[in-house]
Amino acid sequence: MSEQDEHRTPVSLNGLSADDPHLQPAAKNPATVEVVISITFVLGTILVAGFGAAYWVNAKPWILGATMGGGLFILGVGLVAWGKYLMPRGPFVEDRHEFANSQADRDAFAAAIVERGGSVVKRRKMLAGLLGGGLGIFGVVAMFPLLRSLGPLPKGTLFHTDWRKGSYAVDQTGRRVSAGDLAVGSIMTVFPEGTQNSDRGQAVDQTVLIRVSNQRFTTQKGRETWAPLGYVAYSKVCTHLGCPVGLYEQQLQLLVCPCHQSMFNVTNGAVPQFGPAPRPLPQLPLYIDSDGYIRAQADYNQPVGPGFWERG
Amino acid sequence: MAGVLALGPLALFATSAQANPLNPTATTRKNSGTPNSNIVVKKNGTVIKYGDKYITYSAPSSKLDALGQALFMENCASCHGTLANGVPANGVVGAYPDLVGLGPATIDFWVASGRMPAKDTTAVEAPRRQAALSPQQAEAIAAWVNSLQPSFPYIPDPHLKNANVSDGAALFALNCAACHTIEGDGDALAMSTFSPSLRNIPAYQVVEAIRTGPANMPRFTGNLSDKQVNDLTKYVTTEIQHPNNPGGFGLGGLGPVAEGFVALLLGVGFLVLICYWIGERT
Repeated sequence: MSEQDEHRTPVSLNGLSADDPHLQPAAKNPATVEVVISITFVLGTILVAGFGAAYWVNAKPWILGATMGGGLFILGVGLVAWGKYLMPRGPFVEDRHEFANSQADRDAFAAAIVERGGSVVKRRKMLAGLLGGGLGIFGVVAMFPLLRSLGPLPKGTLFHTDWRKGSYAVDQTGRRVSAGDLAVGSIMTVFPEGTQNSDRGQAVDQTVLIRVSNQRFTTQKGRETWAPLGYVAYSKVCTHLGCPVGLYEQQLQLLVCPCHQSMFNVTNGAVPQFGPAPRPLPQLPLYIDSDGYIRAQADYNQPVGPGFWERG
Repeated sequence: MAGVLALGPLALFATSAQANPLNPTATTRKNSGTPNSNIVVKKNGTVIKYGDKYITYSAPSSKLDALGQALFMENCASCHGTLANGVPANGVVGAYPDLVGLGPATIDFWVASGRMPAKDTTAVEAPRRQAALSPQQAEAIAAWVNSLQPSFPYIPDPHLKNANVSDGAALFALNCAACHTIEGDGDALAMSTFSPSLRNIPAYQVVEAIRTGPANMPRFTGNLSDKQVNDLTKYVTTEIQHPNNPGGFGLGGLGPVAEGFVALLLGVGFLVLICYWIGERT
C-alpha cells in the first residue's frame, strides 16, 4: 500500500496525532489557496456591497441580478474551495453510539408512567371546553375576513352588461361607428358609448363587430333583424374562461379564442364547433339609426362570459 | 352600359365622399384606404393617386398593362382563367378566386410576397416564399387586372417619419396580436391554416395586408385610419422586426416554453458540473 493510498483510508479521529496526514489540508500549497480564496471573498464582498448600492440607487434589473447573483456565486465558490482544500483532508470515520437507552432508564420511565398516570393526568372538562370555545369562535371569526376578502357580492352585475336599448357602438377612442365604415370581411372591437375607457367596459362590454355581408344577415331563427347590412356583433368574452375572442378567420368564418382554441361559427350564431367553450357567444341585436350610426337594440339576452354559480 | 357598370365604383369614389354601403369593399370613412381622402389626384377623370400625409396610394402605371397581361397568361391564367375571373373552387375554400375588382394592392401583395404563383395549388394556404416575380412584374400584373375593372385600394406608400410607435404598439395588441402573437411570430389557426410571421416584410406590404385582408386575415378598411395604419406599420417594421431583447437572446419569441427549455439545459447542466466539483474527492 503506497503512502498516497494510506492517506485515503478512513481513520477514527480518536487518538489521531496532530501531524497525521489525515489532518493536513488537501492543498499542496495551502498558502496560495488561501490567497485565492481571500480574493474570491473580497470580490464577493465588493459585488454584494455593489448590489446594496445598486438597490439604493434603483439601478436596472440586470445590474441588480448580476451583482447579487455574481456576489453570492463567488462567495459560494470561495466557501466550497475552503472546505475542499483547506480543511483536514480526511476521510474520517466515527462509530455511532448506541441508539437505545439503557435498560434501567427504560424501566424507570415505564414505572413513572404507571405510577403517576392515575393521579396527575386528569380529565379537565372545563379547560377543554374553554379551549374548544376559543378555537370555535376563532373559526367563526376567521370566516369573515375570508368572505370579506373575496370582494363585494356581484349581485346582478354578472347578468347584465352596459349595452342598453339605443347604445351607440364606439371604437376604443370613443368614435361612433357608422354603417358605411366597415368593408365586408372587416372586424373591429366596439363598446357601448362611454364605457370604452372603463375597466368594466373593457371586461364585460367588449364586443366584436364583424361585417359578414353587405345585406341583412340572419345568424339564427328569431334573430332576423339583429344584423342589419351584414353587421354581426358578438360578445368578445369567451364562454370558456373569459379570454378576448379577437381572432377572426374571414374565409372560414370562424372566431377563434387564442387561449384554448375554441372556435365559434360566425354565420351560425357563434355556436362553438371545436374546443372547450360550452356555450355560444351571446349575440348583440343591432340596428342602424337614421343618421347611419350602429346602435344596440337591447342588452345581450343572456349573461356574457364564462359560467358562474348563480347562472344555473 | 357595360362601361358605366365597370366604372361604377370608381365614379362613386371620384364624385362623392358618400360611398354606397352596399359595395362590399367600400367605406365611407375618410382617410382609411379608399379615395375619401385629403389628397386625390385625378387625370382624365381617373383617380391615379389618393391618401393623406401618412399614406399615399398610387395606381399602377397603365403603361405596364401589356407586360402585365403577358405575365398573367404565363403565370396565373392556368388557375384564375384568362379573364382573371377564377374557376370553380372544387370544394377548397378560397381556391382559384375571381380576381376582378379586388384592387391593385391585393394583386400586388400576393405576387410580391411570393405567395403567388402558388407552389402547391391544392394546399390550404399559400405560404410566403422567395418571390418568383420582381416587384415591378407584380405591379404590372396588378396594372392589367386593374384595367379589367378599376378598383381600390391602390398600392400604398407609407410615410413612416410621421408615425407614432407607441400608438402603433397599442393598436398591434388590440388588432393583430390575437393571431400573429404579441411578438409578431405568427401561430397556428383553425383548420390547418396559420398566421405568418411578420419579421421580414417590407412596410408597403404590411399596409397592403392590413388594407386588403389576404386569405383568412380580416380586412381593416374603415376601422383603422391611414394614421393608425401608419403607426402600426412603423411598430411592425421597427419593434417587431428589430426587437430589443433585454436578455440577449429572443429565442424566436416563442415564450416560456423555449425559455424554460434553455434554462433547464444550460442552468441544470451548469449546476450538475458545480455539484460534481463540490463532491469530488481532493
